[in-house]
Amino acid sequence: MHSAYGDIILTLYQPSTLPHLGFAVSLLLALAEQEKAKQIKLAALKCLQVLILQCDCQEHHRLLDTVETRQCGNLFASFLPGISTALSRVITGDIKQGHMVTVSAIRLFYHTVSLVMADEQLATITKDEEKPSVEQSRLSELVVHRGPDWVKSTADKLSLLIHKIVEFASLHPHWKVRMELVELVHHLMLKCSQSLVESVGHLLKALVGLVNDESNEVQSKCHEILRSIAELRTVAENRALADVLSENLHSLATALPRLMNSQDDQGKFSTLNLLLGSLKLLGPEVNIVLNSAAHLQRLSKALMQVLELDVSDVKIIEERRWGPAGSLGEPSGSLQHGLRESKCQKKYFRFFIDERIFSLIQQICRVLGYYGNLYLLVDHFMGLYSESVVYRKQAAMVLNELITGAAGLGVDVLQERETAVSTEDLKGTITSILEEYIDQANWSLTTSIDTEGTSDELTVKHSRARAIPGGAHSSSLISSFSPSSDPSPTIRSMNSNIWQICIQLEGVGCFAYVLGKEFRLLLASVLYPVLEKAGDSTLLISQTAIGTMVDVCHACGYDSVQNLINANSDYLVNGISLNLRRVAHQPHASRVLEAMLRHSDASLLPLVEDVIRDVLSALDQFYDDRASSFLGVLSTLVAALVQWFVVVKGKEHPQEQNLEQQSSTSSQKQGKGSVITPMGQEVEQFLLDYIKQKQIAEGNLPAMEEQEEEVQAPHPEPEMNDTGAEGETPLPAHAQIAKDVMERCIHLLSDKSLRVRLKVLDVLEFCVTVLHLHENQLLPMAHRAWPALVTRLINDDPLAVLRAFKVLCTLAETCGDFLRRRFSRDVLPKLAGSLVTQAPVSARAGPVYSHTLAFKLQLAVLQGLGSLCEKLDLGESDLNKVADACLIYLSAKQPVKLQEAARSVFLHLMCVDPDATWLFLNEICCPLPYEPPHPSLHAVKLGGMGRQRTEFTDNVLGLLGELQRRETAAFHARPQEAPEPHPPSLPEALG
Amino acid sequence: MALPPPDPQFVLRGTGAEVQTLHFYCGGQEPDYPILLSGSSNGLIHVWNLKTRRVDTILDGHGGKSVYWVEAIYGRDRLLSQGRNQKICLWDLAEGRNTVTDSVFTENVGFCKCSLLKVAQGHWLMAMPGKDLDEVQVLELPSKTSVCTLKPEADAKPGMPMCLKLWQPDFGSCPFLLAGYEDGSVILWNLSGGKILSRLVCHQEPVMSLDFDSEKTKGVSGSSEEVLTVWSLDEQQNLKVQKTQKLVNAGIADVAIRQDKKILATAGWDHRIRIFGWKKLKPLAILDYHTATVHCVSFSDHSRPSERLLAAGSKDHRISIWSIYNQTSEALHCPLETRKPN
Repeated sequence: MHSAYGDIILTLYQPSTLPHLGFAVSLLLALAEQEKAKQIKLAALKCLQVLILQCDCQEHHRLLDTVETRQCGNLFASFLPGISTALSRVITGDIKQGHMVTVSAIRLFYHTVSLVMADEQLATITKDEEKPSVEQSRLSELVVHRGPDWVKSTADKLSLLIHKIVEFASLHPHWKVRMELVELVHHLMLKCSQSLVESVGHLLKALVGLVNDESNEVQSKCHEILRSIAELRTVAENRALADVLSENLHSLATALPRLMNSQDDQGKFSTLNLLLGSLKLLGPEVNIVLNSAAHLQRLSKALMQVLELDVSDVKIIEERRWGPAGSLGEPSGSLQHGLRESKCQKKYFRFFIDERIFSLIQQICRVLGYYGNLYLLVDHFMGLYSESVVYRKQAAMVLNELITGAAGLGVDVLQERETAVSTEDLKGTITSILEEYIDQANWSLTTSIDTEGTSDELTVKHSRARAIPGGAHSSSLISSFSPSSDPSPTIRSMNSNIWQICIQLEGVGCFAYVLGKEFRLLLASVLYPVLEKAGDSTLLISQTAIGTMVDVCHACGYDSVQNLINANSDYLVNGISLNLRRVAHQPHASRVLEAMLRHSDASLLPLVEDVIRDVLSALDQFYDDRASSFLGVLSTLVAALVQWFVVVKGKEHPQEQNLEQQSSTSSQKQGKGSVITPMGQEVEQFLLDYIKQKQIAEGNLPAMEEQEEEVQAPHPEPEMNDTGAEGETPLPAHAQIAKDVMERCIHLLSDKSLRVRLKVLDVLEFCVTVLHLHENQLLPMAHRAWPALVTRLINDDPLAVLRAFKVLCTLAETCGDFLRRRFSRDVLPKLAGSLVTQAPVSARAGPVYSHTLAFKLQLAVLQGLGSLCEKLDLGESDLNKVADACLIYLSAKQPVKLQEAARSVFLHLMCVDPDATWLFLNEICCPLPYEPPHPSLHAVKLGGMGRQRTEFTDNVLGLLGELQRRETAAFHARPQEAPEPHPPSLPEALG
Repeated sequence: MALPPPDPQFVLRGTGAEVQTLHFYCGGQEPDYPILLSGSSNGLIHVWNLKTRRVDTILDGHGGKSVYWVEAIYGRDRLLSQGRNQKICLWDLAEGRNTVTDSVFTENVGFCKCSLLKVAQGHWLMAMPGKDLDEVQVLELPSKTSVCTLKPEADAKPGMPMCLKLWQPDFGSCPFLLAGYEDGSVILWNLSGGKILSRLVCHQEPVMSLDFDSEKTKGVSGSSEEVLTVWSLDEQQNLKVQKTQKLVNAGIADVAIRQDKKILATAGWDHRIRIFGWKKLKPLAILDYHTATVHCVSFSDHSRPSERLLAAGSKDHRISIWSIYNQTSEALHCPLETRKPN
């Protein structure tokens, strides 16, 4: 055959030679089919290929012109049924026959088919219809006339065969076979897409299915072919093909839910791939499909079902953010966490677990959005969204992807669409979707069972749990679930709600991404709800919301979330103040404010100031029932104030103190370490100080100002000016706020609920810290707060006493002198009394005692008392009271911690009045006899001399040793600036 | 059960002082967004972008003295402002400029706001309090020539003018001026003759504000008492009291009738904004948001009725923007409203 060239060969392909050819063909086919030897099979197939003039060997062949090709086509049409059935049998035969055979059989198959069924040939044939019938009658029976009827029936039969081949070959283990299959699809799609319309479905299925083949070569080939097919616009020009595709889509959509239920992940994957492929091929034509209500309905329902989330996981609700009660350091950490995290939360679907499947579905939605009519799609899915809760989450998910796709982001398409959606349209659509998302009905959903009441309980429980070291966090929550009869449906619905919120939040992020800076305009309405969710107590929601914030931040071109909040705080403030007006929304509003405060800095203050007024007035209206929720905000607020303002000043503060110290110890402050101050001057200074202190203690305020001025004169420090000029200049905003808050706190100090009282005490402490530089404001407030605080200290729940004591310590730090009289009158006797009465209890108690509240209280009081005495600069009798009360705790019988605390009290007492302490301790136990230096002096008689060793001895001796050490150290180190705030002066008085 | 009154659509913050006057300008084509002008007691004029809800420009031209009247003239790029520094300034805002191009010195030191009326393309009349205490001067803009000076006869003694309203029965005809005086009377002036056409004593206390509906030829005035008076003008150009509406709390700082003449808003000293149906003065709603005296109310003139807004400025430094009764469908949701088609 090869040796025959040119015209000669054509003579072989005349109708007259048909019977001979037929014999040859059938012989070869039989060989290929039945022969055992692989070589022979291959040779037979090869031969056959040459016979139909489709040889692919290297030698040069004369190319046939169209007429000749048509002739050949006519001729081989007769053999087509035989060849194709035989070949298909070969192809689908035993795998063991070797891939080479299959490959060449496939090749032969598509060559034959594409020769006979080529579109261009068939197109010409209809015109010159009657021409071939002039031949001899017998032969003409053999010659097939390829009219439309014939084409149709042949195509039907072929489609069956193709289906079989495709099914078989696409699962063939050898990649070359699959490669050949791709070739087949390519050839047939290219040449016979019209004649073999019915098989197109199968062909595409194979092609699309093989797009994600394991073998890279097959994959890339598939991509290439898909692209070329799409570029050829065969689909666009060929209605029939489009019909087939859309029909395909329809049936696929119908079957999808069923397949999703039954298939394994691999199967699901390929099914979805097929769907994606058809969509991509349809390209802009997809609108035709979408315009049909039935198709759209099917498709959307299928997506809805496939995307159904698994909401039975209990963990979602269980995971709580304990942040609000915690420190302010946490948010920045969580923010970074959010940045690092992948874009969205991992979702758990009911029907699949493979991430790839989800991304495939995402692609499907995006491609839909890319090509489809956005209005139509959005409208439809919004309909589904509002139709039923069942679809809501899925619809939202689809909508998010649709919009992303419509903007042309993250889509992988085969052909460009003609018209991109304009930004205006997108914005309009997004605005309406967002409106729906953040509608109260879809946004404020129950995500946890704790209503206000139970949450109160829980938190109290929680705080109690925390009081015990190592208390489990989540245990209290789980236990609260169990008693209810059947928690699962509620958990399910709450889970579903949580997911819905998360998906909507992700949607917001997507939309921001899509719109970029254009999104800034929408922030007015969106930022508040998002921030509201960022403060949500459900971990998943708050994390997602934070992620969304980060997305929005990037999209709108802000550097950081903080920047975002600062730049848009006016919108937030607006939302907060409006929501505060509605009682039901107040908790949310306060949450947003909290979140805002947490994520922001001092520059926010002017705006916040305005809304704080709203908060306070709202609080004034609802003292009874809402106090606790507002207190959360107030505590965040003042904590933020402390962070913003006091930290800065706090750094300067020690310095300031230092200066004061310096000025009081060494009045001429030239040279720090070089000048040794004469003792006499020091005594003088001490006395002067003492007089001043005394004046102040008597409530002589002018004296204090005098002192301030005096201090101010040599060091015109800015912060000193601040305090000095207090009277005239208006209060800085933060101090004003703190003052207002403190005023409210005073009223709330005697609230019925313990929780509120505790919270108030916390807030109070912060307020005091903020105000500590504004003494003129703080002192009157302290005066007003005092009676209520005393009540807390004297008779209240131990927890409250504990906190109140902490407040007292803070207060003492800032306005020590002011409190001295009151403390010694109102509080000290009680405290000392309770310490004394508790002492025997703790002395007797076992190891468990250290976990009780009583113990904590004792410990706290003892730990605080010392510094309190020092700060308040208590008088002698009070100091004695303190010493008496604490003495019992020096007993070796007391728990070690209490002993330590008691020792610390004495250490502080040493600072205040070393001599008295020395004397006091020596009364208990005196280690050494003291010889008078001169016989004319009386012999020293101390109560502790010569006593037996008692329970106190160890501690007292330790303390005395410490005292001794300090004395000597101070004595020697004096010139180099004593480290203690009040160095023990006048040590010579001892002797 | 009545629904709770709505919340403001949004609140504008940041004037930093009491808001004395408000004026909407919603004209212009699509890329132009509606703006709201506000004048505050620290002498600043804020130009608010109602789309972003933020300040676009801040104008400072009254030397820190309270600004109590602002109005846009020549579209959005020019505006007139009147301040307590006895100056009426014409601002040029085009292309990002913000300069005072012209100003008129008023010799009056009262609180009376001016009134502006467009009489022809490029011509305005502006009524402003005159040199003498009880005098009103009418200028023609932009030429600033005095058209007439309206001074009541010596024996009338109405006191100072408190509020002014220029109006024209129909375009092109002779304009009239309605002025509310210190003694509680409202006087109708004929500008061409400079004569009093009618005088109506409708309040015991000074008239704080008035507005007039030239279609129905009836107007409304509020004073520092707790009544709102509606009066009408008959064919003989006589003012007659039509109805008085009792209020709970005294003091109406401002009244405004919406452009479609359907509702009326009042700014109360009791921190509240009240909405009435204009036809029968039926109380429709009380908008309670502000925490201090409301100084002024203003309706927007947006071309789309659904986007028409109400703004109120208050002593508490805030401007509240309300979206009320601007959709026909909303009438169904709002039991307070029983609007009849007219």
